[in-house]
Amino acid sequence: MHSSPPAVAGRRSQRRREALTGLLFVLPTLVIFGLFKFLPIAGAGAMSLTRYRLNGDYTFLGTDNYTRLFDDPHFWESLGVTVSYVLLFVPLIIVVSLVGALLLDKLVRFTGTFRALLFVPYLSSFVMAGIVWSWIFDTDGPLNAALDGIGADPVAFLSGDQLTVLACLAMVSVWKGFGYSMLIFLAGLKAQPAEVHEAARIDGANGLQAFWHVTLPLLKPVLFFVLVIETIIGFQVFDTIYVMTGGGPNRASYSLIYFLYDEGFKFFDFGYAAAIGVVLFAVVLVLSLVQRRLVEGKDAS
Amino acid sequence: MTLHPQAAPARRRRSRQQRRQLALLLILGAISLFTLAPLLAVVVLALSPANAPTLPHALPDSLTFDNVVRIFDVGEFPQWLFNSFVYSAVSVVVILLTASMAAYALARKRFPGRNVLLWSIVATLMVPMQATLIPTFILISRMNGVNTLWGLIVPTLANAQAVFLIRQFVRELPDEIFDAARIDGAGEWRTFTRIVLPLIRPVLATLAIFVFLWHWNDLLWPLIVGQTDEARTLTVGLATLNTETVSTANIMAAALVSFVPCLVVFVLLQRHIVASITSSGVKG
Repeated sequence: MHSSPPAVAGRRSQRRREALTGLLFVLPTLVIFGLFKFLPIAGAGAMSLTRYRLNGDYTFLGTDNYTRLFDDPHFWESLGVTVSYVLLFVPLIIVVSLVGALLLDKLVRFTGTFRALLFVPYLSSFVMAGIVWSWIFDTDGPLNAALDGIGADPVAFLSGDQLTVLACLAMVSVWKGFGYSMLIFLAGLKAQPAEVHEAARIDGANGLQAFWHVTLPLLKPVLFFVLVIETIIGFQVFDTIYVMTGGGPNRASYSLIYFLYDEGFKFFDFGYAAAIGVVLFAVVLVLSLVQRRLVEGKDAS
Repeated sequence: MTLHPQAAPARRRRSRQQRRQLALLLILGAISLFTLAPLLAVVVLALSPANAPTLPHALPDSLTFDNVVRIFDVGEFPQWLFNSFVYSAVSVVVILLTASMAAYALARKRFPGRNVLLWSIVATLMVPMQATLIPTFILISRMNGVNTLWGLIVPTLANAQAVFLIRQFVRELPDEIFDAARIDGAGEWRTFTRIVLPLIRPVLATLAIFVFLWHWNDLLWPLIVGQTDEARTLTVGLATLNTETVSTANIMAAALVSFVPCLVVFVLLQRHIVASITSSGVKG
């Protein structure tokens, strides 16, 4: 039997040891995050209020970068391009990955094989996807060869009008990315209770009715989740544009991140580019909060 | 048939079921073919002999590895490949190790500032990488890290997803395991390496795949921090080659070389991917 004072002291020293090991174990992460996450986040806000030069010299400007940004036609143009792209990309990737998941869900054998086959494009880089699809969309490429084969006129997929160019870019991103959201949808479908579907069938619902009135409502939280992450991904579009169109033709595909990249690394206007980054952050933050609200609202009801 | 009145409808139902499964297989087969066609085109174009008719107008008569061998003589291609390997491999190892250590502490140890740190890390998930691109570049450039491998790697080691995901796993480990380790007299480091790490192997395998893919396929950060020919990664090199006047066969050979490691990693570890997307996606 211990007398009480040493036990208290022992417990206290044990707690101190626990705290010490805890701190030692988080130390590497603390240093990395402090230097390369927390510091740049604070830095982005601070730099956006200055004219900043690479050597560290800066002039405090207040909110000038932001008023300039909101007066800059290039900013609104790039925002318009990005929103148009998102409006093409998001519905397309949702439909494609949902259809893929519904088909896989009904499959009894070879599920693993097809799941893997459809996921393979996700492994490629956007750069590689852009290179292959540039070849496909080329004036001498297979698509135009096929059009020629059926006697149709060639299409300037990547050098024509804005809608065509953005649709082509969206298609490439859907091809590359749908495997991921398809697996999320598939998991959501597998999690649905079989009894509900059974009941719908007994009530005489056909396939489409069961999908609309049973499957889709049950899938709503997953649908919101995918909707938000794909919208955020859509707002960050850069790689395929860099490889396929260079922002053109005539700035038809000049997205927000392309604008940020040019201002920062072509014109070295770091403070201004930082302000564009802050605006992007605001957009993503709003989307994340909306998602959280929707998911929590769902849980509460 | 008359002896078993139930058998006929059952058999009919079964054959209808089989027909539906066959149709499903055909549809999925067609979709897969369509999805994989661009990748097959890369393979065929990369392996087509020079000056022979090839896609989109004809299929080549024979295949050759000449283009793939020759791409290693173009520019700094071997250097790009090396840079990509170092960037991806070092990141995987360091992120997995540091994030596991932090996750263990954040899930199992009480220390001052624990909750603040946890929520600060989780909050950074909402900040897109592009929003901090400029200050991170300035920081690395002031540390003389531009065009160096460490300058490329170090800022990407702060991976909030990894910390968060591993913490969820460590939290679910039963207390008894840790009590048993303590009774056996195992030290903290020993408990971590011999007990925690082996138990969280599935989540580590999944993260390894994704961190590898993210880094191997990354463009924007390597594009900015590696500005000389020798400092590029393979993805940046691929994008540069595309704007220069190299033949389709060359660029496709380079694309093929860049894709093979991703495919190998996927084939080796693919069963973990499904499990992880399943859990992360639905729980949201």
